[in-house]
Amino acid sequence: MSITYLEAIREAQAKALAEDSRVFIYGQDVGAFGGAFKATKNLAQQFPGRVIDAPISEDAMVGLAIGAALEGLRPIVEIQFADFSTICFNQIVNQAATMYWRMQIPCPITIRLPCGGTSGSGPFHSQSMEALYAHYPGLVVMTPATVEDAFSMLLEAVAIDDPVIFCEHKFLYYHLKAESLPREALPTGKARIARAGRDMTIVTYSAMVHESLAVAEELAGEGTEIEVVDLRSIKPLDTDTVMASVARTGRLLCVGEAWPWGGVTAEVIARVASEGLNLLDAPPQRLNAKDTPVPYHPNLWAAHRPTAHSITIAARNLLRL
Amino acid sequence: MLRSVASQLTENEGAVQPQAFLEAYRWMLLARILEDKLASLYRGGKIHGGVYLGRGQEALSVSVGQSLRKGDFFAPLIRDQAGRLAFGEPLVDAVRTYLGSPVGPMRSRDGNVHRGRPKEGIWPMLSHLGATIAVVNGVLLARRLKGIRGSVGVASLGEGGTSTGAFHEALNQAAIEKLPLVLVIANNQYAYSTPCTRQYACANLVDRAIGYGVQGHRLDGTDLVECLRVVGGAIQRAREGHGPQLVIGELLRLCGHGEHDDAGYIESRLKQSPLGRDCLSLAKMTILERRWADHPQLETWRQAAFKQVENTIIKVQHEPPPDPYQEDWTVLASRHLTEMAHLERTSS
Amino acid sequence: MTQIPLIMPQLGESIAEAKVVSLMVKIGDQVEADQDVIEVETNKAIMNVTSPCRGRLVRLVAQLNESYPVGAILGFLEVSKVDAVRLGLEDRPRAVSASTPETDSASPVREPEDTRRQTVQPTVRGLPVPAHVGGASYMSPRLKARMAELGLHAADVASIAGSGAAGRVTIEDFEHFLANLERHKLTAASSMRVAVADAMRRSWTRPLATVGLPICLDALLAHRKTWEPKPGPTLYGLRALALALAENSAPAGRLVGAQIVHPSSIDVGFAVEAADGVLVPVLRQADKHPLRELNLRYNELVELARRRQLPADATGGSIATVTNFGTFGLTWATPIPLPEQTLVLGMGCGRRVPHWDEGQGQFVPITEANLTLSFDHRVLDGGAAGRLLTRIAVLLAQPEAL
Repeated sequence: MSITYLEAIREAQAKALAEDSRVFIYGQDVGAFGGAFKATKNLAQQFPGRVIDAPISEDAMVGLAIGAALEGLRPIVEIQFADFSTICFNQIVNQAATMYWRMQIPCPITIRLPCGGTSGSGPFHSQSMEALYAHYPGLVVMTPATVEDAFSMLLEAVAIDDPVIFCEHKFLYYHLKAESLPREALPTGKARIARAGRDMTIVTYSAMVHESLAVAEELAGEGTEIEVVDLRSIKPLDTDTVMASVARTGRLLCVGEAWPWGGVTAEVIARVASEGLNLLDAPPQRLNAKDTPVPYHPNLWAAHRPTAHSITIAARNLLRL
Repeated sequence: MLRSVASQLTENEGAVQPQAFLEAYRWMLLARILEDKLASLYRGGKIHGGVYLGRGQEALSVSVGQSLRKGDFFAPLIRDQAGRLAFGEPLVDAVRTYLGSPVGPMRSRDGNVHRGRPKEGIWPMLSHLGATIAVVNGVLLARRLKGIRGSVGVASLGEGGTSTGAFHEALNQAAIEKLPLVLVIANNQYAYSTPCTRQYACANLVDRAIGYGVQGHRLDGTDLVECLRVVGGAIQRAREGHGPQLVIGELLRLCGHGEHDDAGYIESRLKQSPLGRDCLSLAKMTILERRWADHPQLETWRQAAFKQVENTIIKVQHEPPPDPYQEDWTVLASRHLTEMAHLERTSS
Repeated sequence: MTQIPLIMPQLGESIAEAKVVSLMVKIGDQVEADQDVIEVETNKAIMNVTSPCRGRLVRLVAQLNESYPVGAILGFLEVSKVDAVRLGLEDRPRAVSASTPETDSASPVREPEDTRRQTVQPTVRGLPVPAHVGGASYMSPRLKARMAELGLHAADVASIAGSGAAGRVTIEDFEHFLANLERHKLTAASSMRVAVADAMRRSWTRPLATVGLPICLDALLAHRKTWEPKPGPTLYGLRALALALAENSAPAGRLVGAQIVHPSSIDVGFAVEAADGVLVPVLRQADKHPLRELNLRYNELVELARRRQLPADATGGSIATVTNFGTFGLTWATPIPLPEQTLVLGMGCGRRVPHWDEGQGQFVPITEANLTLSFDHRVLDGGAAGRLLTRIAVLLAQPEAL
């Protein structure tokens, strides 16, 4: 029996609904239809009245979640595509994220954002938004890369008393499978060493973890051992694990699917440069998507974001520095 | 059919009681005296940031606060001092928040009108107008899911706030869910310096109610009798399950947008029209005409309000300002997820 | 009675100042709390400044049509102590200084400061930012940190052949090097040795060259015999060098950037071997004292140096050094000038050699020794160095004039 990344998300929601009566799901097409990606398939039938269809009103959807959280409920809001979250950006960063700071009342909402590109999805169905939310104080931002993490981290997101932006990757939904769901997991805030290495550290998150692992496999054949660090949550960011890895290898390559300016890769390098410059044997490098909107055509899309191929080139360059 | 809906309430719905009227008047008086004093403090350089008054809107505002019950939910706008007091917000909250006291409800982290006590039913205002309405919806929906019946949520707004997408989304959402939401719109003719003609193109804002599938009410916002009757009636309707109510009170803003603004753009013909009447003076006249109280009684109340305001201000002025070194600079309830050590190294 | 100030309020979030357009009261007037006293104009509106308390206006600083920043003092009110206490005004008021409107409100009253603004120049102009630095001299931050830990310099690891990009020394090369050292016999270097090593390493950062000249020592040796105690040949060389530099001090100048720093006093040092290293005592103003006077002092210093008892004022501050490598039996050497000096004069040992005498038409025996001058080639060229050396040789040929 194997379970996909998407099924893991559904299982997590089912478990949350079953075990905590305060949980409900609110989003477009989530009810009888089961969600645009089927992340809530059958849940409305299993849990009547707790999987509610929303109008196309992202602002009001998140606002409603905040009010419900004030009343003690634990809403999960499904935004159909992360790209649409710019509509509810105000509610997230100005009401949800400031609630504890201004009112000393926690805001335990979970916003699920299907992020990242798939072939042909185009500029408004492909974005990676994590850096925008990480920039604002008051939010937790998760970027699960594995089926196991998609399951456990979503459960933890619901349990956390603060607003959590849960960035699920659409490409991984049906491409990634696992044998079973985990019973335990690393806590939020801890990064995972996806592959141990010696010659270079690749720090990355979400779908790029798998591209990086492919690169590590390839270069292992040449005698180079690359360590891959999966950040899992980018806020809080596990600086200690990153630093320890760089201490072991002396070389750092950060890979992200988002745009370069002020992204996760910039943040990681800033931290390593200011707190661990003397660990570096070469200037730290990063690889991101091209600084343009995400293109539609598969040929262009393939060249727009980092792939195993482009990461390999960057890694080889770094080894030569 | 599009016709101006004055009010869908019957004659007898919400007929006003003298006791309620006098109580409302006293809240209005207290609000007015407090705000005059706040304006003075502002001009004396004692307040950081802006001061936003509700002069001219007290009747509409107090009607909301007075008609709501304990346990209801209220998201006020910036000019709701009277309504807040009537709903139960302590006077000292306003003074503390304006003077930035760390003992106030926002603990110096937010100021002036951006204050509230969410657990006690008052949602702190934020400047992204319309954004608070969905929060009220959320509270009401959550109560419904929890099986709690009979509460009402009110969101106050100005006519300017009705132009935002957030307003539209939230009213639409409330209508779909048939929530007991009452939207009280104070149409004070100006959003800062922008007149109504630049804010909406329909003949009357209340006409929008039909478009949303909700009940609409329009009233003279300067007349406390009208206000208590219509606002009280709308709230009652919502409580009885008739779905969202849209209440438009027509009045005129009798002060600047903020105290930094001299409102020189307000047309004098409006100031001289019935719209420009001071609701507080009108209410006082009503009291005297109907002999619900006499001059000496009114004077006694005025002095009591003055004393209360003055004493509160003196008390708060003696409270120390926040100490940044004693402040807990934490944004997450989950302490273990805050990057404290790292942040201390890299920020001031 | 207490005096409290009237402060220009913040009349709008982005307002920084306002202009006084009307004074509604005059000095001596009694005012009530909240009474309008001064009318001001911001770029948004005309507003009134109100009195915070009942009192008497005793001083008016504000002038008509003048602009004042937020927080500026506009005047002073005399108020009763009772009122001041009741309204919490008896403390230093929470006025804000004109130049720092963001500071906390508890700071004391200050007169509006001079708001002269300093222009800030960008500090980073064309700093080299090596994007992909490679090459034999590149040491990564990690390598530098490791070397700093062990107290090593680039000179110490010059022997490591780098296996990294463009021949740079990698951390692996370095660790191998260190591991390799462990296999050899290691003894601790004395502090004297380490100090000399550091001085020589620093000196060698300059381009050094040497010129040389054989001189006939006979006159000097004859002169020397007549004295007790006998002056060392080093002293003759020192005195000759001093006189030559007194005639022209430029060769002993130091180059700092684009400037030549001229010596202010002809203080010349001389090398004395002591234990594990070399000490350099100094004869001050050697140009002003004849040989006879210098001799006593010279011998004193040599003795003190040998016993490692040189006082602090007897070393340092010399502009050139003399070293007699002839005492080791050497005929030729190229000493290294001290890092703070441009010149070192070297003297080799005398040997009996045949010298062609043109007058006599035959070889005659003379005692000959080599003089060398090692110098910082940035300050001197061969010509100037040669001229100096020649002058010294001429002076040494007439020892009685020294």
